[in-house]
Amino acid sequence: MSDPSGEMRELAKKLLENGEVDRIIGWEKGNLWYQSPPLFITRAEETDRLVFDDFAINSLVTYLLDERDSGKKTGIFVKGCDSRGLVRILQDKQIARESVYVIGLPCSGKKDPRQALSSGASESSQVPPAAKCEECLYPNPVIYDVIIGEAVEAKAKGDRFAAVKEIEAKTADEKYAYWTSQYSKCLRCLACRNVCPACNCRECAFDISKPRILAKENNLSHNMVYHLTRAFHAAGRCVECGECERVCPMGIPIMQLNKKIIKEINDLFGPYEAGVKLDETPPPLGTYQTSDPEEFM
Amino acid sequence: MKRVGVFVCHCGSNIAAVVDCERVAKEAAKFPGVAFSIDNKYMCSDPGQDLIKKAVEEHHLDRIVVASCTPRMHEPVFRRATENAGINPYLFAMTNIREHVSWIHTDREKATEKAIDLVRMAVAKVLHTVPLEKSSIPITKRALVIGGGIAGMQAALDIADNGNPVVLVEREPTIGGKMPMLDKTFPSLDCSACICTPKMASTDQHPNITIYTHSEVERVDGYIGNFQVTIRQKAKYVDHKICTGCGLCETKCPNKKIPNSFEAGMGNRTAIYKAFPQAVPNKPIIDAANCRKLTKDKCGVCAKVCPTGAIKYDDQDELITIDVGAIVMATGYDLFPWKEAYGEYGYGKYPDVITGLQFERLVNASGPTSGHILRPSDGKEPKTIVFIKCVGSRDDVKGKAYCSRTCCMYTAKHAHQAVDKIEDSHVIVFYMDVRTAGKGYEEFYQRTVEDGVHYVRGRVSKIYQLGDKLIVRGEDTLLGEAVQVNADLVVLATAMVPSAGSGEIAHIVGFSTDKDGFYQEAHPKLRPLETFTAGVFLAGACQGPKDIPDTAAQGSGAAAKASAVLSNRSMETDPLISQVNDAVCAGCGVCVGICPYRAIELKEITQRAGGKTIARRVASINSGLCQGCGACVAACRSGALDLKGFTNQQIMAEVDALCL
Amino acid sequence: MSVKSSDAQEAWEPKILAFCCNWCSYAGADLAGLNRTQQPPNVRIIRVPCSGRVDPQFIMRAFQDGVDGVLVAGCHPGDCHYSTGNFFARRRFLLFQRIFDYIGIDPGRLQNRWISGAEGDKFAATVSKVTEDIRALGPNRKLRDEHE
Repeated sequence: MSDPSGEMRELAKKLLENGEVDRIIGWEKGNLWYQSPPLFITRAEETDRLVFDDFAINSLVTYLLDERDSGKKTGIFVKGCDSRGLVRILQDKQIARESVYVIGLPCSGKKDPRQALSSGASESSQVPPAAKCEECLYPNPVIYDVIIGEAVEAKAKGDRFAAVKEIEAKTADEKYAYWTSQYSKCLRCLACRNVCPACNCRECAFDISKPRILAKENNLSHNMVYHLTRAFHAAGRCVECGECERVCPMGIPIMQLNKKIIKEINDLFGPYEAGVKLDETPPPLGTYQTSDPEEFM
Repeated sequence: MKRVGVFVCHCGSNIAAVVDCERVAKEAAKFPGVAFSIDNKYMCSDPGQDLIKKAVEEHHLDRIVVASCTPRMHEPVFRRATENAGINPYLFAMTNIREHVSWIHTDREKATEKAIDLVRMAVAKVLHTVPLEKSSIPITKRALVIGGGIAGMQAALDIADNGNPVVLVEREPTIGGKMPMLDKTFPSLDCSACICTPKMASTDQHPNITIYTHSEVERVDGYIGNFQVTIRQKAKYVDHKICTGCGLCETKCPNKKIPNSFEAGMGNRTAIYKAFPQAVPNKPIIDAANCRKLTKDKCGVCAKVCPTGAIKYDDQDELITIDVGAIVMATGYDLFPWKEAYGEYGYGKYPDVITGLQFERLVNASGPTSGHILRPSDGKEPKTIVFIKCVGSRDDVKGKAYCSRTCCMYTAKHAHQAVDKIEDSHVIVFYMDVRTAGKGYEEFYQRTVEDGVHYVRGRVSKIYQLGDKLIVRGEDTLLGEAVQVNADLVVLATAMVPSAGSGEIAHIVGFSTDKDGFYQEAHPKLRPLETFTAGVFLAGACQGPKDIPDTAAQGSGAAAKASAVLSNRSMETDPLISQVNDAVCAGCGVCVGICPYRAIELKEITQRAGGKTIARRVASINSGLCQGCGACVAACRSGALDLKGFTNQQIMAEVDALCL
Repeated sequence: MSVKSSDAQEAWEPKILAFCCNWCSYAGADLAGLNRTQQPPNVRIIRVPCSGRVDPQFIMRAFQDGVDGVLVAGCHPGDCHYSTGNFFARRRFLLFQRIFDYIGIDPGRLQNRWISGAEGDKFAATVSKVTEDIRALGPNRKLRDEHE
């Protein structure tokens, strides 16, 4: 893939200069070779800082939520996975389509800074592709105003639900032991919630005091309820961007629960991919079929 | 500090025989928030209710818990008692220690423990209640009836007789619906037009009824008592205020070969026309698509001959808005489009294979053949006539799974008429079953059989033309042998389906349809005339296939329902409905699609955020429409929605109390 | 009676929470009472307007608090007093049961049934069956908030 940075900068510059957008969200090169953090710019002369390299892994779309009341228009760069998150936010009516100028970037996979650090690599070519990119089904943006670069082919290989099936094969006690070992690590830092495009409520249920869903104390029971609740709130809405798991400082396999839910929704209610079509019908739990499976009798 | 009073009822010995009520009351006294607790022989009796009042005075109680029988029975009684004691009636909780404890358990210890748990849960719930007020919504004393067939006319007349104004909207240029097309009605063989057209005239002349024909309902907003309806009066090109209905224009119109839908395609009409001589209103309209003046700017004969100058070629559609308090749906039925489905009957390519409704026109004295049964192809009188029942009905492969209910009887009537009118006729009916549930119906069917009509049990598998005969092949399943009839005319008893466009109008008015597109009643047994949308009622075949007596009965029934709504100036609404916390609501709108009552919409609010005023959209509950099911609440992720009386906090408190 | 102390004892009795919709299942429970149909005393009912009102959050809280099983009962599909509430409930709990199973909580601990107001016998039989099932599974410790 050729470096689209030049085109990105040129376009961003034009958009800011002619006043079509008030700001641009993209990526810039960080202080370290394995970091490309988000970049927020409002002036045309800053556009030279934009990059789209191996480490432009962050989804930028949840930053749009910070501006949802500003009335300003944002130009935003999206990869395939990010674009589905954007569809999620648009479908949930959190921002208006007109308030965002979407610049699509086909993506053949990014790299995870933490893997770069832990692998002891000294340059990008030595770093393996990020875990979440290995299962990518939508490398090309599903929504955009303009696209930069050639479409790339999805490289998802193998069974998307392999890890889920491995867990399913365990006994109940083994499953519980597995999950408690994971959830007991949780710090309740809420990074997964904060990065999730499906977690776009203004006030989160966890922050409401009447009734209080979670105790303030950090214990296993409440950690489990935290993760189950969040997964259930995202059920049928999760766009599989994998950001929750990527940002988790404790390495909790958050997507293994989300993927289980995706698998079951497909099994129970028919094929469904969240965040792919902007004008699709309500998410699976916001609708029903009279012919849905009947197990309750 | 909240002060709860707990009252444990013995219900004579109904509860006390199994539950140690005294112990329950003693335990309850220890629960947090409980200021007073007592057991009593009969809480629902006057002394029992007085006990609540006295206890409230003496112990300054502000919340009441009664542990007794099922709240499905006495909750209103104890709410009133709470109110009489000077406490808001919703600061009350009831728990069931009779049906759910004493009547189903024998172990006194365990039953008493369960009763204590239940009281603890009720106390926990009542601690989180807030005072609620019933609200009142005004009622517009006017009804809308959609559809002017027999159901709609009956409903309109009955509502109007009740003293309330009615607006009747009919899509066709005349009211009357399908009934005036019929010749005779089973089982009495009354002339259909003779009993239907007076009803049309009464409807037209009733001072409380306003009729809009050639009109459609385009938009409905609002809710029970307060609907705003927009009606599109389609251009008629004839000023009915001036027109006298003399009919001269019709005789002079040069375009005379337009198939007349009133004749079910068996006869023609002109471009300026009345559907039939007794049409109401008895004034013509111009069919714009077939008028030479309106399509090609030629002709103009009608305007020249009209003695009153009523022709208005520049007429436009007009939008009329009215407010109504209740709506009756009476949109009727259409016939199943058999030509698209039944290849074995020729897909409609044989002119002498007709429907029952076409047969009605053939046998009708005012029809295209003046009541002589003549076959469409050559105008000859058929001698051998085959009737086929269940065409599209009871056929889930090609048609509909349901029974259309009327076909057995009208086919018997047709067969009887054929035998009666045609000498030496040979009439065969192919049937699956003969269903004659109705007053005098079985007797009529037996008479038809005695008349000499030959009933063959079996489906017809093939019809084809051979010379001037239709070869009808089927099987007599009772004899187990193949049957072939060389027929002159074949009449199909086609299924009833919802009328064209009925789904769209259901969507406009805002209620649901069933799997076959018929209108969904609120309960199949006990609320057959209501929809899930308060203030919208159903009458006639729009709800499912039915005959004239059932249709008329439903028309009257729906009118009674609508009149009950209109009988008051205002109505109280239950406060146990959903509410929105605007500050929390993100306006995602998932609740909007879940609400079965269309009670939620997104409305714009302004609020202060980040030091400035912003406008954004949040969910908003219409208290006239919300029925308090709580489906939206469980779907709301943030907890912005809550159900008054069953709040998240109340239910969580009950759950917690169970395990304290 | 405290659940926590009781399951330490030998005579452990399962504690089961039932959510019953007001129009069908709660009425079915009433009918069972009217018919004096005997049932195990382990189930406590919370009355809700509709099975569609039941939030999985309530169920998680119940297990945190220490119940051994939860029953959610509503009108039969197509008979919902509110037309469609139980169809949403059906989707919600079909999925939620599978999530429970996936994290290692026996699906028998969360049961769903359609029980009409006319089905008093079915209500009683359901209570008996669910109680038996939960008894066989033993006390639940999973998801329980021990620090409360």
